[in-house]
Amino acid sequence: MTIKRIAHKGTITAGALLCMSAFATSASAADCSIKVGAVLPTSVDWGRPIAEVAQYAVDLANEAGGVSGCDVDLILRDSQVDPKVGVDGAKALVDLDGVQLLLGAVSSGVSMPILTSVAVPSGVMMMSCCSSSTGFTALAQEGKSKGLFFRTFATSGVQAAVGAMVARDKGYNSVAILYKNDDWGQDISKLIAADLESLGITVTTSVALNDAQPSYRAEVTQALKGKPEALYLALYPTEGSAAVREWISLGGTQNMILANSLKSDEFRDNVGLQYLGNATGTDTASPRSESASAFVDLYKAKFGSEPNGPGLSNSFDATLIALLAMHAAGKDASGSEIAAQVANVTDPNGTAVSADAAGFAKATEILSGGGTVMYQGATGNVRFDSFGDVSAPAVTWTFTEAGTKEASYITLEEVDEFMASVN
Amino acid sequence: MIQSLADGILVGAILSLGAIGLTMVMHILRFANFSHAELLSIGAYSALVFDALFSGILPILANKIGPFSMTWALTLSMFCAMGVTGLSAMLIDRFVFKRIREKGDELSMVFASFGVAMIIRNVLGLIFGLKSQLYSNDIVFAVMISSDPMLLIKPDQVFVLLAALLIMLVLHFVLSRTTFGYALRAVAENPSLAEVSGIRLSRVIALVWIIGGCLAAAAGVFYGLNNHINPVIGRDLVLPIFAATIVGGIGSVYGAVLGGFIVGIAANMALLVLPSGYSPAVPFMIILALLLVRPHGLFGEPQT
Repeated sequence: MTIKRIAHKGTITAGALLCMSAFATSASAADCSIKVGAVLPTSVDWGRPIAEVAQYAVDLANEAGGVSGCDVDLILRDSQVDPKVGVDGAKALVDLDGVQLLLGAVSSGVSMPILTSVAVPSGVMMMSCCSSSTGFTALAQEGKSKGLFFRTFATSGVQAAVGAMVARDKGYNSVAILYKNDDWGQDISKLIAADLESLGITVTTSVALNDAQPSYRAEVTQALKGKPEALYLALYPTEGSAAVREWISLGGTQNMILANSLKSDEFRDNVGLQYLGNATGTDTASPRSESASAFVDLYKAKFGSEPNGPGLSNSFDATLIALLAMHAAGKDASGSEIAAQVANVTDPNGTAVSADAAGFAKATEILSGGGTVMYQGATGNVRFDSFGDVSAPAVTWTFTEAGTKEASYITLEEVDEFMASVN
Repeated sequence: MIQSLADGILVGAILSLGAIGLTMVMHILRFANFSHAELLSIGAYSALVFDALFSGILPILANKIGPFSMTWALTLSMFCAMGVTGLSAMLIDRFVFKRIREKGDELSMVFASFGVAMIIRNVLGLIFGLKSQLYSNDIVFAVMISSDPMLLIKPDQVFVLLAALLIMLVLHFVLSRTTFGYALRAVAENPSLAEVSGIRLSRVIALVWIIGGCLAAAAGVFYGLNNHINPVIGRDLVLPIFAATIVGGIGSVYGAVLGGFIVGIAANMALLVLPSGYSPAVPFMIILALLLVRPHGLFGEPQT
């Protein structure tokens, strides 16, 4: 009787164990988990999809066996696009949850204080999907980001470079710059001025335009003085149309190069299509590669719509690259150890891996064996420079009756080559 | 240099028109009306509506007058807009400022004027949308008066300057040659004494608002003709107009005219010495500099 009972008990235990192990296999690596922090503006309408796509990338990674055999647990904090809230969130993630990897933030104005007051002091790696300010490049150049910061969003440098490229291809010898007097405008105007100078194109004047001024006549007169052959505009539509109307009526050239901010119907209608025949716009673009269309298919299958919002492909790549680097750095690696592995995940000489569950599994296997991989993601073959910046392909566009149309596509290689040649 | 001076005078004419109305209201009612510049927006938008209406009814009116982008339809619209704006100014006073004047003090009036400004701005935004609009999409090319030194002038600017001067002249005669002008000055001097002498205070106040509104509407249309119209032009123009008023001396119509030109010229000339990023600070610097030397403005007198 006693023996029988024990035997019975044994069967139950064995059965339970069997059940559990079966469970463990299906959920791949349930015995441990690794926390990853994310600070994203989930409370704004365009921020939520960015966070959702990051979570989706984490799910894919977990499906493929997780990081170092552990499930990744993404802890999401809302930044509310507010630097204070963002820093609070990041601080809690680092101090309370002990994360070594932070994803985010979106706005440069939020990412910057998180980087300088949380990530760098705590030695945590930070990967932003969407911050474009060259302030991060400057910080990295000064060595103040300690190599902990990466981003999958191209800096304003790409657009400035393409603007300079247009000026060169059209054979303009002198260019005047009108720019919006904010962080973005100042940034891009300095960049394009430097690019133009190194191409031997004279920058006659660079004039800042403030928001909400009753008249831009004086500024435009200022820019007219050097009698430039072309005009570069880094403005928003409202002041852009006011300034360009003045410019044209005062006999300024109609050779114009426009930043993507002027890709607007308001600007086209107010200036008039008849004056915009020689205006060429610039913009960054997503790559025309298989891996980019693979992401579009993946996204459509998961979310049921085209990935049209800002920063979606960038967020996807940021997450997967960071997770692969984390895997390569091994269990319990510190932020700087993870950061050091990013180069091995985006090695142009490494084995090509795709950005899906199968690719992730293949990549983790190669990285565990000490090899390197070339990550081919939603934004193409991502490659960071020594300051954690990426480049991006670009397009030029012109205005048409219906809106705008693409004039030319400039591949990542061409952009990179050009940027290297002017710097 | 010459170009900046010329542009300054032309911009100044628009500021002067706005400043005249403001200085009159500030003098008679003794409060800083921050909603005055919104009357320019009301004027500019009502002219836009009338313009579309007139051009629709009689397409011949949509032809341009000579080298200007002004059309007959817009000229007519401008007068209609002056009426609408004068009336709105009076109604705003009747429904907001009059009630507060009876119960509260000057500070309440100032705060109320901020509120009125925001309401007007946002209502215009709701009705017409936030994007910029134009009376005419055509760009009128400037005429080169001289090539060295460079001087380019748009025909519209000359038209605006002449029209503004004409309006000011008419106003000058009204103020100096009519009983209304005397009544106005009497009220400004001492409201109670004026009332005892048989002047109807409410009538004078209403007329001041109407005149202020008319001038603001003209300024709004001229501004729209030279630049563009959007719901925030009041916000963009309120500081230069205030600067013109304060520089000229509160209460002085001639001071306001001169103040407008000074601010316009200074803002244009400033770019010759200052980086363009600092141009919004120029009106403030003028106010500060002038108030240090003449605390009541160029033509102002200490109020009793």
